[in-house]
Amino acid sequence: MAETILTLADTELTLAGNAGPVEILKGVTLDVARGETVGLVGPSGSGKSSLLMVMGGLERATGGTVHALGHDLTAMNEDALARFRRSHMGVVFQSFHLIPTMTALENVATPLELARHGDAFERAAAELEAVGLGHRMHHYPSELSGGEQQRVALARAAAPRPEILLADEPTGNLDGPTGHAIMDLLFGLNARHGSTLILVTHAPDLAARCGRTIRLEDGRLARNAEAAE
Amino acid sequence: MNPALNIARRELRNGFRHGLRGFRVFLACLALGIAAIAAVGSVREAITEGLAREGATLLGGDASVEFTYRFATEAERAALADLGEVSEIVDFRSMVRVGEDRALTEIKAVDDAYPIYGDLRLDPPQTLAQATAGDPPGAAMDPVLADRLGLDIGETFTLGEKTFRLTARIVAEPDNAAGGFELGPRTLILTEDLEGTGLIQPGTLYETEYRLRLPEGTDLDAAEENLAAVMPDEGYRWRDRRNGAPGIQAFVERLSAFLVLVGLAGLAVGGIGVASAVRAHMVEKTATIATLKTLGAEARTLFLAFALQIGAVTALAVVLGLALGGALPLVFAPLIKDRLPIPAAISVYPLALVEAALYGTLAAALFTLWPLAKAQDIRAAALFREAGGLPGGLPRRGYLLATGLLLLTLVAAAALLSGIPTLTLYTAGGLLAAFLALLGTAWAVRRTARWLGRLPMFQGRSSLRMALGAVGGPSGEAGAVVLSLGLGLTVLAAVGQIDANLRAAIQRDLPEVAPAYFMVDIQPDQIDTIRALEDDPQVERIEAAPMLRGIITEINGQDAETVAGEHWVLRGDRGVTYAPTPPPDTTITAGEWWPEGYDGPNQVSFAAEEAAELGLELGDSLTVNVLGRDIEGEITSFREVDFSNAGIGFVLSMNPAALQGAPHTWIATIYAAPEAEARILRDIAGQFPNITAIRVRDAIDRVSEILAGVAAAITYGASATLVTGAVVLIGAAAAGTRARTYEASILKTVGASRTTILTSFALRWAILGLVAGLVATVAGATAGWGVSVYIMETSYRFAPLSALTIIAGGVSLTLLAGLAFAWGPLAARPARILRAQD
Repeated sequence: MAETILTLADTELTLAGNAGPVEILKGVTLDVARGETVGLVGPSGSGKSSLLMVMGGLERATGGTVHALGHDLTAMNEDALARFRRSHMGVVFQSFHLIPTMTALENVATPLELARHGDAFERAAAELEAVGLGHRMHHYPSELSGGEQQRVALARAAAPRPEILLADEPTGNLDGPTGHAIMDLLFGLNARHGSTLILVTHAPDLAARCGRTIRLEDGRLARNAEAAE
Repeated sequence: MNPALNIARRELRNGFRHGLRGFRVFLACLALGIAAIAAVGSVREAITEGLAREGATLLGGDASVEFTYRFATEAERAALADLGEVSEIVDFRSMVRVGEDRALTEIKAVDDAYPIYGDLRLDPPQTLAQATAGDPPGAAMDPVLADRLGLDIGETFTLGEKTFRLTARIVAEPDNAAGGFELGPRTLILTEDLEGTGLIQPGTLYETEYRLRLPEGTDLDAAEENLAAVMPDEGYRWRDRRNGAPGIQAFVERLSAFLVLVGLAGLAVGGIGVASAVRAHMVEKTATIATLKTLGAEARTLFLAFALQIGAVTALAVVLGLALGGALPLVFAPLIKDRLPIPAAISVYPLALVEAALYGTLAAALFTLWPLAKAQDIRAAALFREAGGLPGGLPRRGYLLATGLLLLTLVAAAALLSGIPTLTLYTAGGLLAAFLALLGTAWAVRRTARWLGRLPMFQGRSSLRMALGAVGGPSGEAGAVVLSLGLGLTVLAAVGQIDANLRAAIQRDLPEVAPAYFMVDIQPDQIDTIRALEDDPQVERIEAAPMLRGIITEINGQDAETVAGEHWVLRGDRGVTYAPTPPPDTTITAGEWWPEGYDGPNQVSFAAEEAAELGLELGDSLTVNVLGRDIEGEITSFREVDFSNAGIGFVLSMNPAALQGAPHTWIATIYAAPEAEARILRDIAGQFPNITAIRVRDAIDRVSEILAGVAAAITYGASATLVTGAVVLIGAAAAGTRARTYEASILKTVGASRTTILTSFALRWAILGLVAGLVATVAGATAGWGVSVYIMETSYRFAPLSALTIIAGGVSLTLLAGLAFAWGPLAARPARILRAQD
């Protein structure tokens, strides 16, 4: 049995809303093993993205615990979480979220710089070459197409070789063929670097490519099924 | 209803529902600029009105007739008495002596009719008759002078050869319109007590004024004409209550015109904030505009709709600005009245408000037209792409033309209304140059930051590289900050450099070339003794010249002012001299000096620069009224006269035969070592009590004090410009909060700590502030150099202290503004921000 890399125990998330507190996650318990590919599926508003954010320490759980690589994310402050992500996690968003004031190369180099890698720019350039953007390194996000921006985001997430890669509907804003190309890249990176991939998606075919699919309904785990391989 | 109106109405309604959030900086910038101009204009009008109301008191009568170093003749007195009640005043400079101590004073000798208007207030309280009674005769003195001489009430002092007793200190002198601008503080005595002082001798420099109380309803013009008919060509000067203090009035008008120019600079700075706000607003409206275009709205309709919306907000800003600018003088009325040596009728002056509103509206139109015009070019397709700002390139030609026209109108209005068109044009040119320089700098800074960010040496320093990336990146922040803050700081830097150089020229450079003493009222039989001082080893040299005072009344037989217009040479009486040969170091620029011993028709040598300004040519004839006698002469030479070194300089010199016969005195300048000054004064004053010695250093200090006051007023004005710059800055910082929150969230996601992010924010603001400060210093130094060299004709030296203050100020301001808005982005939770964008 592979080592458990991520453990959620009775995790809850309640956010303040205009009409009172909104319970988003209502006690989620799950383990993810190293090297796994997990698809998070469920209807809109079921809490998939929130669960992913809690896993990445981008959102603080209001109940239960979240352990990643032996660290209790719920006990860490903002900066400790940032440092943890810097070394162990990559995140890809539906809307790419590149820094608009930085070129593609600078965007990819930033996490490497923050982790004090002396060869940040060389590695960033290699990473961009790997996603087929060697010719667009010095372009700003506003000068890139959606597919290109998502490839930069992928390169940025993968560059520090994170043990855990979180992706929140990474093809949601892309057309079919571009989306497929991105997914091929994502799964390719995952296979090559042996990282753990947790993916939020609406697309059944994408979920089907994952080793395990977890379904969320109204903030709770509905089914914990091994996908047929 | 016009669809544009409907759109504008809905947009406005929406804007008001959200508290005009996007327009707060717009409102603040425009309202502040308008308020500053309105406030300056209101104070100017208040002083003008105050001077007009108090004209008779300030002048000392309904009208005043002034003679230069003579009393009115019996016939003239009779003519004056025919007009109304008369009071005679004698005014001249002299030395007060207490033991061995001496000080310069302005003596005012009056009769018992003084003052015709207003009240003379003395301490201890008493009437003029009480204060001047007794033997030795009583006198009142400015407290400053009494204190300097250590004189107490009841103690005696000497004027010329006569002893007086101090009976009172002067608290208020109603007709002292100069408000303390004189060189010597006042001593007040009775004219009849002048007898025995030996101070009024033939040729002594003194003025007599005959103040008139005219019967109620007297037509002042008619009175002036009546007097002219009785006393033609008598060389007197008529003034009446309509302009009781012309010097002060002119000074106030000049200063306020200059302050309005500074206010306009503030409006230009605010304009950048206005333009940024409208640009941001139009970017936000991209989807609306694209949708409306999809629905069939024409570009013209959309332009009109948004122009109407912006117009309504402008109107609101004008109202706010006028309310603030109109109210400020009212609120600070006690303080203003207290500080001003002259009366001010603080009130609301519609004319000043109209002027401010005009400037404000023109500036708003100028700065909003461009982004409005560009927004028209937004295409319907923008709906389907992520919008990254307004379309690039220039607006359509019509709008470019309109922008040019608006700029011209604004500059023309300022030139016309300020009354100092040349300076206005220089200022406008300077501002435009600074604006372009700052635009160029902003562009260069972005390119440089981008280039630096890619250098291997900065890689790995994530905070610095992120800061460089932000400065060099595609957001418009660098441009807005460098422009607004840079322009505000430029105005302040220019004022600082000009002030530092002007003060240096007067306080540092002038004493090096200026004489130690300026001696006046030297009788012809005393001049040889004065000249003999040159043998004193501590005296470097002595220059002396005979001196008369005369009014240039006619040029080629016609009224001088009609021929040559208003010029300081023609205003009042001027010093006139004579010399058999050109004085040493004289440069004749045209014509020839009269031969030695010349005895033919009178000849005149005129100062070359002033002659050119007056349009005089060789061969022109001049009529100069000296002591009521007309002396006519032909201009036969022009020569260079340097008025900048406080030496002897006469605009007008004549051949000796023309003037020798008239009673006159000599003036002399003594160039001596500072340590010898006191001894020389003691010697001369002991020997010749009638001679008045003006210590040039004291005069320089007095001028410096006045200049310091003027500089302070202008610095306050310029600070208002910086406040507007700061508002723009805060606006830019606030507007960028959303972008920085987003950026901080991504940075946190990829592993940046809050310290790293905060350092990066601080660095980017510091870089922008530093650049703005540096450019402002260069621009300010350029302006300072231009003004020093070309307008004040002195040398220019860079003032490092002022420059350092500007740079430090720039960095601190941007840091403060930036960091004030850094907390939100730093505290934001990445998940909330990033998911909100999905």
